[in-house]
Amino acid sequence: MVKKTVVGEAQQVKIAIDLIEMGARLQLLQEETSLSRERLLKLYKEIKGESPSKGMLPYSTEWFMSWQPNIHASLFMDIYTFLIKNAGIDGVQALITAYRLYLDQVQSLEGGEPVLSITRAWFLLRFFKAEMLQLVACTECGGRFVSHTDDLHNHYVCGICHPPARAGKTKAAKQAVDAGEKVATE
Amino acid sequence: MNTMQLQEGIRDINLTYLMLAQQMIKEDRAAAIFRLGISQDLVDMIADFSPAQIVKMAASNMLLCRFRFDENVLLNMVTGYSKDRMMGQAHAAILMSDQAVEEMA
Repeated sequence: MVKKTVVGEAQQVKIAIDLIEMGARLQLLQEETSLSRERLLKLYKEIKGESPSKGMLPYSTEWFMSWQPNIHASLFMDIYTFLIKNAGIDGVQALITAYRLYLDQVQSLEGGEPVLSITRAWFLLRFFKAEMLQLVACTECGGRFVSHTDDLHNHYVCGICHPPARAGKTKAAKQAVDAGEKVATE
Repeated sequence: MNTMQLQEGIRDINLTYLMLAQQMIKEDRAAAIFRLGISQDLVDMIADFSPAQIVKMAASNMLLCRFRFDENVLLNMVTGYSKDRMMGQAHAAILMSDQAVEEMA
């Protein structure tokens, strides 16, 4: 436990605020800051204007394996690893910075929605710590992607080099294409 | 473009680059390291430059920032035509984050 000082506590509050603004769940805040549950609740209501959502956390490694989530998770994890290796930060600070940079990357893509929530990103890091997931290099592009530790990785090819047949063909994407064609023919 | 214009152009870019880098480092050091792709030592050095030093550095007739898309795969990903431009960019970002940072010798 960190020794309680006024400055230390101010930093903890700052971290909590950053996390809440990114949409973190209460459980995450409790784990990553030294503030009491009561104070976190109060802080949460002050910032969001509502009580934090209850219910189950997204506790599953499977989610990270489907196509789009995998790409987003890999992007976040690669940024996080970069920061740990090169930027001299760790812990919750690295989580916050990596998530901010991830959002930056996603928002610069057209129609980019942040598929990975901060809570999922946090779980992702825990899965890595528990060695349930790892980064594996794609044999075609060399990029590193999230994958199960017990899978076979001899000829791993990532989801961008070889997208599955129906990848990205969501309803929204189809509508966007249709709208584009309409404009083009007019 | 004559030599004078060329040198002026280079100076402009250098100045903008150094000032932007300083600003980025001041705001968020770790994020700046990621975005600039340079090591902690270099980042700290740039952060400590005085305005006078920045002007002097910018005036050297060499570009101070270097090309980062220095791999064929990466270059094709960003410039090449593909149906899904969004994925190309995400892909490039994944590969970029695996690159080594520029370090002081």
